[in-house]
Amino acid sequence: MSASLEKGINALKEQVDSTVAAFFSSCVHCGMCSDACLFYTETGSPASTPINKAEPLRRIWKSEYTLLGRVGKMFGLTAKVDDELLTNWETLVYDNCTLCGRCSMVCPMGLDIALLIRKTREGMAAAGHAPEGLIGATKRAVTIGSPMGVKLPALMAQIGHVEKDTGLKIPLDVVGAEYMLLLSSMEIMNFPEFIEATAKIFDKAGVSWTISTEAFEATNSGIQIGVADIAAELVQRIVDAAEKLQVKTVISPECGHAYMAIRWEGPNLIGKPFNFKVRHILEVLDEFRKDGRLKITGKETQRLTYHDPCQVSRRGGVIEQPRNLINMFAENFVEMPDGGKMNWCCGAGGGVSSNERADEVRLKVFQRKKDQLDEIKPDAIISACSNCRIHLEDGLEEYNMDIPLMSLTETLAEHLAD
Amino acid sequence: MTNNKDKTLGETLRSQGISRRSFLKYCAATASMMALSPAMIPKIAHALESARRPSVIWLSFQECTGCTESLTRAHTATIESLIFDAISLDYHHTLQAASGHAAEEAREAAMKENFGKYLLVVDGSIPMDNPGYSTIAGISNYDMLMESAKGAAAIIAVGTCATYGGIPHANPNPTGAVSVGDLIKDKPIINVPGCPPIPVVITGVLTHFLTFGTIPELDHIGRPKVFYGQSIHDRCYRRPFYDKGLFAETFDDEGAKKGWCLYKLGCKGPTTYNACATTKWNDGTSWPIEAGHPCLGCSEPDFWDGGGFYKSLSMPTENIAQTAVYAAAGAVAAGVALGAMNKSKKNSAAKAHNKTTIDDLEK
Repeated sequence: MSASLEKGINALKEQVDSTVAAFFSSCVHCGMCSDACLFYTETGSPASTPINKAEPLRRIWKSEYTLLGRVGKMFGLTAKVDDELLTNWETLVYDNCTLCGRCSMVCPMGLDIALLIRKTREGMAAAGHAPEGLIGATKRAVTIGSPMGVKLPALMAQIGHVEKDTGLKIPLDVVGAEYMLLLSSMEIMNFPEFIEATAKIFDKAGVSWTISTEAFEATNSGIQIGVADIAAELVQRIVDAAEKLQVKTVISPECGHAYMAIRWEGPNLIGKPFNFKVRHILEVLDEFRKDGRLKITGKETQRLTYHDPCQVSRRGGVIEQPRNLINMFAENFVEMPDGGKMNWCCGAGGGVSSNERADEVRLKVFQRKKDQLDEIKPDAIISACSNCRIHLEDGLEEYNMDIPLMSLTETLAEHLAD
Repeated sequence: MTNNKDKTLGETLRSQGISRRSFLKYCAATASMMALSPAMIPKIAHALESARRPSVIWLSFQECTGCTESLTRAHTATIESLIFDAISLDYHHTLQAASGHAAEEAREAAMKENFGKYLLVVDGSIPMDNPGYSTIAGISNYDMLMESAKGAAAIIAVGTCATYGGIPHANPNPTGAVSVGDLIKDKPIINVPGCPPIPVVITGVLTHFLTFGTIPELDHIGRPKVFYGQSIHDRCYRRPFYDKGLFAETFDDEGAKKGWCLYKLGCKGPTTYNACATTKWNDGTSWPIEAGHPCLGCSEPDFWDGGGFYKSLSMPTENIAQTAVYAAAGAVAAGVALGAMNKSKKNSAAKAHNKTTIDDLEK
């Protein structure tokens, strides 16, 4: 109950560094980022131009860190950051941006616009302007351990089902295991098949792995809401568990932002390097493939396409691996137009799916995905992010499209040779 | 001769053993070279096949004959050169067999016969200081140009001398050399600059004229945009090295050997508009930058007076004045002071930071 404008402004001041200053001073206002953003192309609203979403941060940089801005501030000429501005920007920063980073790819001046918006969220959250849904998710993540409120008994129940169905033992808290698997609460609650699939593949591959009962949640609401302190706390939980179990590699599951949070932001958040590796599940599976540990049988004859999750492909660089894996079982694979690093966001990443206020806009901008799908007319879509998957299912239903969604890991497990 | 003149271009080509297939290939190449729609290919073919060979009068003034060398330098009997042969070149000092009075009579006859329809091609600049600097058959360049221009349908100025004055015009311009465009204001003039210009550019312009009966779209200094619309720099295959900041510093350093950007060695590519980087020279074999030499900017006005071929574009041409040094030092000091203030501001913001917990998310 202590969020305030002062805290928000202070947080924005903290965010300004040489990178931010270089970015803002080199923006040439060309507007190319607008056409790269589905929240602009599908709504036509100029306010949704990506760089405009970082306006609160830009104003702080201008008024506090530039000579002209400071002189202007003395005469009341430099635009201020106040509660009214932050209220107006709430929906732009949280509802109309998934931090997908497509804008950063097209900026001719090389600005990482997604980073600027991510930093703007720090000020918004500290000033009490984060959306209710995300605040709730963040509270649950910190107090319960998962943004969806999934507790250990729920996981244990799902593990029980999986063990019964497969006859395999799911290793828990095994010290010295090679891999430690993280899970997103969506996988625990909506797609327990993922746990089953992973167990089967790891069993066939003959590697040692484990799930920590102390830190099994992969997602990081602190990143999405934009509070580095909370994000660091959530990362620290995983680091503690990984160090306790002395694992070599921590695996981020089929979740985009979880991967970005633990692998790319993680060490920066806690301020020291990890003493273990972090890999996305697809990277691990592709390593298995390379080592000949994956034996696949049977082919999918239907027309399959792959939806690149932004944080996995564009921001994470895991682009070749899913294609290598899909080619093991797909006879009729077709790339989405703009597939790969320039794929269009599903429209619900970066905390948008936890924010009920954004429900209308996320379904509206799904039109972009629909256009992509209409062009290739696939029989099924494969993805590697549970959040993308849930939203894609939502969108397809909204637009009366009957295309099934598949998880890459699960489909691979179905084709494991005995 | 008269008989041959009445033949259409198509007939002439066929009589020279050019197959229809290679003729159509030429038409397609010309269309793509000039960025015309593929739908234009049959139109070009039709126009060329049925065109009566237009009379062309070629005047050479203060020039080195390099332009003629370039344009007639057909390595083998290319179809471009045949198109060129197939116009009725009625007067050309270097190429015509006739000399003396017979030569001048040919020019006068062609002018009379085709009044208002012939194409006038000019290479070389015109001396205005003393007409005696350059005369042909006792006629000053100025008089010959003015007389020949009267009945021309259009004028093609070939080479940098004819288009912008070129080397004769270079400081201190002893002959008072001027360009064709400086003297003639009432006729359409197509400038095809270059020292010399690329051969396909002139055949392209001729084809355009034969096909459409008009002159192609020109830029602000009269050059056809299709060939001079883009800078050498924008189309240069060494451009990625420029973008990466990899430059050859001397002609024999590692960078030069690795084919890095020649900007620092004085390349004028960024300010030069020409088609060298795309069409290349000698039947697409190579071009100056590919051969390791910076672009001289020969298709730009006053390229000879641009401050030295090996002086890089952004290097100051004069010594920086002392005041500028002081100003720069002052700016650096101010920058350091500003940076220090920003650093302290950021530090105090970090100090004012209270750890944000889940209780701090709402007001």
